[in-house]
Amino acid sequence: MSVLGPLFRREDRHSLAAPYALDALEPDERRRFEKHLQKCGRCTVEVRALSEDAVRLAWSQAAPPPAAMRERVLAAVQRTPQELGRAPVRERAPQLPPHVWGTEPPPGRSRAPRARRPLFVPFATATAAAALVVAGLFAVQANRTQDQLDAQRTQAREIAHVLAAPDVRATTGTDERGRSIGVIASASEKEAVITLTGYADLPTGRVHQLWLMRPNVQPRSLGLFEGDTPLVATGLDRTATSLAVTVEPDGGSAQPTSQPVVQLTLKSVGFGE
Amino acid sequence: MEADELLVLVAGGDQKAFEQLYGLVSGPVFGLVRRVVRDPAQSEEVTQEVLLEAWRSAARFDPGRGSALSWILTLAHRRAVDRVRSARAAVDREQREGRRYHDPAFDQVSEEVEAGLERELVRRCLNRLTALQRQSVTLAYYDGYTYREVAERLSLPLGTVKTRMRDGLTRLRHCLGGAA
Repeated sequence: MSVLGPLFRREDRHSLAAPYALDALEPDERRRFEKHLQKCGRCTVEVRALSEDAVRLAWSQAAPPPAAMRERVLAAVQRTPQELGRAPVRERAPQLPPHVWGTEPPPGRSRAPRARRPLFVPFATATAAAALVVAGLFAVQANRTQDQLDAQRTQAREIAHVLAAPDVRATTGTDERGRSIGVIASASEKEAVITLTGYADLPTGRVHQLWLMRPNVQPRSLGLFEGDTPLVATGLDRTATSLAVTVEPDGGSAQPTSQPVVQLTLKSVGFGE
Repeated sequence: MEADELLVLVAGGDQKAFEQLYGLVSGPVFGLVRRVVRDPAQSEEVTQEVLLEAWRSAARFDPGRGSALSWILTLAHRRAVDRVRSARAAVDREQREGRRYHDPAFDQVSEEVEAGLERELVRRCLNRLTALQRQSVTLAYYDGYTYREVAERLSLPLGTVKTRMRDGLTRLRHCLGGAA
């Protein structure tokens, strides 16, 4: 084999992004490329963009299906159980105090006012932080419609998944006005649950958008906060250094358009390597 | 409600949300599947499988990675391609197909024109690609050929086909102007 062999092969893999986006790889090749994708940020970005292009090709073909199909599919749905999305959630009750489950308010934190302090002070213990985050999750259950409750159930499952990870850790930060951001994260599961508390009051047409910050990379949107509902972020790699929240126009922005209202480092929860 | 929100509700077992979602996505899914699979009965079958799979595995949808519609259409495309490839493999065993491919400008429009505007736009943009870009993209995406098969059909080196696919898609993006 020529000394250039390995070099060429690597080059070759990058160039498979377009055939991959078009589903034009053979099964073995597809698997190999998917493996490669997990390590190649550049390819992931490229594949995502190319796949969106392919979807335009798909969309342009829309045609109404036969009317009878609707009843068939809806009937099938009624007797088809759903996947949980991942391996069944391990039922391990998190070791958290009772207020966490919504029966009591979270413990108050008294603070002597200080002249100047950093915007956010990390909590001393993970349990206290987790307690705060989880309290945030369950404080908002009242007055929800069934649909919202169902969505929350899915989310609760995600949260339980993160909580059950062997390396789950939590951190939180609070600013001078008592507003806080909380994170429960698992580096091995690449997941985190993020809550905002006390930031709810925004002018109409504005939203809080969550960003993942990594060195030398553009911030990546992790989603929009809706009121007090926590966000579940997946696919976080270990290079993630911090989270930031900005105020953006309704619907969110592709990149932050304002200074963060809050930023929280992820080092204490096992990221930022 | 938008497909993204609906799919999240569907993941929580909400059948009403699924009904609404059906209204939004069944047309795009069916149209795409039929374009790839061709056979009407098989297209219906694959469409149903895809919609049911969307119900079953809705919890895997990650709004951070793209829209619900892309998620479902990506799923639909993969299933359609799987189907057409296995059907083709069966046919190929009996009779080796001719290698000719004639490329009139892209005009294979099916009868019911639903997404009229988008379809017209995509058609026009496809026609702005070079013939090789267009053939590479459409043979793969609409006809379900692997890029190796595309290379063989067009008598091009593999590397050229990969490049044409990427350039074709990128040019399509610019032509479509990112308007959803």
